[in-house]
Amino acid sequence: MKLRPARLALQALALAGVAGLLVLLVWKLTHDPGGGVAAQLSQGKRPQAPDFTLPRLDGQGSVDLAAIKKPRVIDFFASWCYACPRESRRLEKYSRTYAGRIAFVGVNTLDAGTDARKYVQRYALTYTIVRENGRKVLNAWGGLPIPRIFFIDRNGKVIGEMQAEEDLPRFLKKLALDA
Amino acid sequence: MRRLAPFVAAVLLLAPAAAASEHHPTLNELENEIMCPVCGTTLAQSDSPAAHAIERDIRARIAKGWTKSQIKDSLVRDYGEEILASPPKHGFNLLAWLLPLAGLAAAAAVLGVAAWGWSRRKPEPETVSPQSLNGHGPIDPELDRRVDEELARLD
Repeated sequence: MKLRPARLALQALALAGVAGLLVLLVWKLTHDPGGGVAAQLSQGKRPQAPDFTLPRLDGQGSVDLAAIKKPRVIDFFASWCYACPRESRRLEKYSRTYAGRIAFVGVNTLDAGTDARKYVQRYALTYTIVRENGRKVLNAWGGLPIPRIFFIDRNGKVIGEMQAEEDLPRFLKKLALDA
Repeated sequence: MRRLAPFVAAVLLLAPAAAASEHHPTLNELENEIMCPVCGTTLAQSDSPAAHAIERDIRARIAKGWTKSQIKDSLVRDYGEEILASPPKHGFNLLAWLLPLAGLAAAAAVLGVAAWGWSRRKPEPETVSPQSLNGHGPIDPELDRRVDEELARLD
């Protein structure tokens, strides 16, 4: 047996491996949102809201974000998160104030279903709560930490994320004018 | 057959332990097999509220008599497959198990081919140097030439 064909085969294998890794790198760079909606907002952009369809926590069907044809607020939360109850209670209060004009959607993420249901019961939340298994939706919007609250206008553009306490009433007023 | 005996003995010894672990899992072992979803470490290494919430769930399920597979399946339903410290051995994740083995096999094949090539290579002809008669290594050619000259002169 001559060594040359074997060496050529090994070199071809090594080249194929390197090419495969390059393809993976390009795929990652082109498909990774790179910080998601939150990163785009911090660059001053107003990105289109990534759509999602998630099952409701109460088991009564599912919710398609794009199908809601009015301004929306979405809040990513989990039962283990210390800062979440305060924001959930504020959202509950505002959801009553802006009922019919702004849709409020809580997205329970990285959480156990039973714990999430107890959370909703404990804080008496009446606005729509959906639940994601895993973290794909959360990552598309910017990932951890939570809570993360985003404001979406009636055309589906994300106009802001809550960074400070006063952002919530400010953005809600803006959305209500758009309604 | 005698060579297989240690493997058979090992399988017979480990099988009951594996069955016990599946049917009566402990929090300690699951803590090392489940990831904390927010910190990137196993539950055993994490002190985050999310990890504590999952540990509470696991404890409750163990108390209800759930098997290890049932507990893991239920956690995967809630948190996705990323919750498992080791990727599952099916679908795309199977690659994570096969690629290291394939890498080892490829490395062994490369070494084998190289060793075979080295062992087949023809030895290069060695330059013959005059040996001394007393077995103390080769004689310096220059010295050998001078000795021959002196001997010729004496003749």
